[in-house]
Amino acid sequence: MTENDKLATGDDGLEAYFEAARADTPVPSTELLGRIMADAATQSAARDDSLRQVTVLRQGIFSSLIEAIGGWPTLAGMATAGVVGVWIGFSQPAGLDTVAEQLIGADNTSYLVDLVPAFGSEFEEG
Amino acid sequence: MPFDAMNDTPDEALLVLYANGDPDAAKALMMRLTPRVLGYATRLLSDRAEAEDVAQEAMLRLWKIAPDWRQGEAKVSTWLYRVVTNLCTDRLRKKRGVGLDEVAEPEDGRASVAQGMIENERALALRAALETLPERQRQAVILRHIEGVANPEIAQLMDISVEAVESLTARGKRALTAALADRRKDLGYRDD
Repeated sequence: MTENDKLATGDDGLEAYFEAARADTPVPSTELLGRIMADAATQSAARDDSLRQVTVLRQGIFSSLIEAIGGWPTLAGMATAGVVGVWIGFSQPAGLDTVAEQLIGADNTSYLVDLVPAFGSEFEEG
Repeated sequence: MPFDAMNDTPDEALLVLYANGDPDAAKALMMRLTPRVLGYATRLLSDRAEAEDVAQEAMLRLWKIAPDWRQGEAKVSTWLYRVVTNLCTDRLRKKRGVGLDEVAEPEDGRASVAQGMIENERALALRAALETLPERQRQAVILRHIEGVANPEIAQLMDISVEAVESLTARGKRALTAALADRRKDLGYRDD
């Protein structure tokens, strides 16, 4: 079979060369494998470090805010005061009237004080 | 997961395990992929030392991309072949014109007696013939016929169509046949 015949039938005679090339595949040296594994470990460690730094940074900002207002006990006190304030605002406890009566007397009536009584007439006079 | 139990684990799963901090997964991936990466780089560069540098660099890029690996988009091996192709292309372009003279030529008259020697001579002859091919033809022929990568994957990693891959490999094989014609008799072939 000539070269042209082989090409025409699809048997180009190259398969034996390719087979030889596949058999000639280089084996990685121990040193190369060591370098690659060291790179893997370095990259892994670098990732762990950056993750740790982000965590510390997040914890740091939150902790600083808590510390600025006096720590967790203060935060709890503020929360309680806030809730009580809202409750008083909505419910208007009857006990408050009793306290007010004792302080200013039950007979006293509230009235408006006109601080600028003549303003209306001055306005009318022009 | 123990190292021995990772033989059947897909490349992509190993990469995810490595990204999650499993050193055994890195070792399994390295043992599986480095020979292929090194073999391909050696065939493209015809320089073992440079091929080792490229193999290390390609694997380093794999370790770096591991946490951001987008699953299901490409095979790990295809991605690596693309990286190696690019790294080798850069190196070849930097030293263009030097490579051909440095290719080890098979010595005349040494062929024939032992089959092992013939195999070795064939591999050397093919390497020299591959050096005469245009860059893209060489890459396509090596990937398809030596590395055993499927045409659609080659198309993906070379950013061309499957038809273009078929055209590159067909032209490459014709050129190889012509380049090897003079050596065929020496290497155990007969036109009979």
